[in-house]
Amino acid sequence: MDMIWMSLILLVVLLALLAAGLWVAFSLTVIGCVALYFFSSIPVGDSLSTAFYSASVSWELAALPMFIWMGEVLFRSRLSEEMFSGIAPWVGKVPGRLLHTNIVGCGIFAAISGSSAATAATIGKISIPELTRRGYDQKQILGTLAGSATLGLLIPPSIILIVYGVATEQSIARLFVAGILPGIMLMVLFAGYVMLWSLMNPAGVPPGESESLSFTAKVRRSRPLIPVALLIIGVIGSIYGGLASPTESAAIGVALAHLLSWRGGSMSRDTFISALMGTVKTSSMIAFILVGAHFLTTSMAFTGMPRELAAWIATLGLSPYMLLAALTLFFILLGCFLDGISVVVLTTSVILPMVQAAGIDLLWFGIYLVIVVEMSQITPPVGFNLFVIQGLTGENILRVAWAALPYFLLILAGVVLITIFPEIVTYLPSKMGN
Amino acid sequence: MRNALNAFYRFGGALSALQLTAIMVMVVLQVLGRVLDRVLVWVGADALGLNIPGLAELAAFLLLGATFFGLGYTFWQGGHIRVTLLVQHLPLPLQRFMDIAMVLLAAAITAFALWNSAWLTYDSYDFGDLSIGMVPVPLWIPQLGMVLGLLWLLIALMDAFVSLVTGRLQKIPTESPQE
Repeated sequence: MDMIWMSLILLVVLLALLAAGLWVAFSLTVIGCVALYFFSSIPVGDSLSTAFYSASVSWELAALPMFIWMGEVLFRSRLSEEMFSGIAPWVGKVPGRLLHTNIVGCGIFAAISGSSAATAATIGKISIPELTRRGYDQKQILGTLAGSATLGLLIPPSIILIVYGVATEQSIARLFVAGILPGIMLMVLFAGYVMLWSLMNPAGVPPGESESLSFTAKVRRSRPLIPVALLIIGVIGSIYGGLASPTESAAIGVALAHLLSWRGGSMSRDTFISALMGTVKTSSMIAFILVGAHFLTTSMAFTGMPRELAAWIATLGLSPYMLLAALTLFFILLGCFLDGISVVVLTTSVILPMVQAAGIDLLWFGIYLVIVVEMSQITPPVGFNLFVIQGLTGENILRVAWAALPYFLLILAGVVLITIFPEIVTYLPSKMGN
Repeated sequence: MRNALNAFYRFGGALSALQLTAIMVMVVLQVLGRVLDRVLVWVGADALGLNIPGLAELAAFLLLGATFFGLGYTFWQGGHIRVTLLVQHLPLPLQRFMDIAMVLLAAAITAFALWNSAWLTYDSYDFGDLSIGMVPVPLWIPQLGMVLGLLWLLIALMDAFVSLVTGRLQKIPTESPQE
C-alpha cells in the first residue's frame, strides 16, 4: 500500500513539474531528490554528484554526439534533392507512384540519421513541393511523410536506441542490428498500404510521367545516391560484422559525411560550424536528460519502489501479452504529452524491473519501446514530426495528425507483429558474432 | 555586459565543440591505425601497433566535458527540452511568472548539484583518486569539468532570471527539439 502511495505521489509531482514547464532533465533530477529524501535514508547530495559523474563518463555514450553530428552534416548537404531525383525513377510504375519516394527516402535517410524530426525535415523539404506540384493527394503526402519519418527512430543508427542501450546496459551494436528487420517490416507495411489506397483512390495519384527510362538510365539518375549507400553499408555493416564498435563507426561516419558534403560542394565554413554547434546543442540536451535519468534510476533503486512495483504486478498474474497491452496503452498516452527520449528514460528508471520480472527479453523490449515511441511522434498535441511538417507546410497540426492516423495504426500493427513473431527482432542479433 | 555574457556562453559551446572534434579525430586515427596494421600483417610486414593507449577512457572524459561545457550554451540557445503545451496558453504575464519560477527552481537544483560536485571533486583530489584504466588519470580533473559546466549553466540560469525580472526577456526561448 505504501509503495502505491509513494509512486502516486512521485508521479503527480513529476507531471506537475513537467506541465509547469520545468525542463525535462531538471524534472527528473527533482523527482530523484524527492524520492531519496522522503523515501530512503541515503544522502541526496552525494548520490546526485556520483550519479551525474558516472552517467556522463561513458565510451558507449560517445556514439550519441557522433551520430547526431553525422546527421547534422548530411542534413545540410544536397541530399534532399538527390534523394528525390534518385528514387523517383524506380517507383514510377508502382501503384501510388511517387508517394513511395517519401517512404523509401525516409527509410534511407533514417539509416544515416538517428532522428525522426531531421528525417521528416530533410525528405519533406523537397518531396512536399514536388508531389504537391504534380497533384498528388495532399492528405497522403502528409501522411506518408509523417509516418515514414518515424523510422528515423528505429532504423540504425538511432539516437533513441543509444539512449536505451546506455540506460539499460544493453549492447548498442546488438540493438542497432535488432532494429533493421522491424524497420524494413514497417516500410513494407507503409508501402503496401499506399498501393492499396491508390488502387482504391485512383484520383489521388496523377498519371505517371510519359518518359519510360531504361534500367541503365535509372541507375544513372540514382548515381548521386551511391556514396550515401556506401556510407550506410559501411557504418551499419562494420557494426554488424563486429569490425567496429558503434562509437568507432560513428566517428568514421562523421569524417565520411564531411568528405561527401565537401565533394558535393555544400561544405563551407558556415555549414561546418552550424552543423557542429547544432550537434553540441542536441547532444548536451540529450546527455543532460540521460544524466538526470541515471540519478532518478539510482534513487528509485534505493527506495526499492520499482522492485515492489514489479512484485505487485506479478501478484496480478498478468500474462506477458496482457502486460504488454497495458504498457502499450500507457506509453501511447504518455507519448501524447512527452517526447520519446523522456518516455524511454522514465521507462528504464521505473518500469524495467517489472518487464524483467515478466520474463521479457530486454533487447526485444528496446525495439518494442522504440516502435511504440514512434507512434508518439505523430500523436497530437505533442508529436515532433507533426511540428516539423506543420513548419514545412503551414498545415494545422490536427490535420497532419489526421493524415498520419493510418500510419499510426500500421505502426500499432507492427507492434502486434513483433509481439507474435519476436524473431523479427531477435533473428539478426542472434546471427551476430560477439 | 550583455555581449560579454553572450560571448561567455559561446565560449562554452566552442569548448564543447572542440572536445567533440577531439573525440572524432582520435577515434578516426585509432581506427585508421588498426586498418593499416591489418593491411601490413596481410602483406606480410610487421604491425606497427599504432594504438592510442586508454583512448576509450580519454574519449569518455572528453564526452563529460562536451556535455557539461555545452549546458549553458544550450540553455542560452533554448535547446533544452521542456513541455510548453499548457504554459503557452496562459496569458503572457502569467507565462512570465511561471518561467521565472521554473528558472529559479532549475537554478536551485543546479546550485545544489554544483555544490555537491565541488565536494566530490575536492574529495577525489584530497584522496588522490585515480581512474582505473590503462592510463591512470586523477579523477579530480574530469570532475572539475563537471563543476565548471554546472557553473556555466548556473550563470546562464541566473542571467535568464534577471532578464525576465527586468523585462528584457518576455519569456524563455524554446526551440523545437530534434530527436
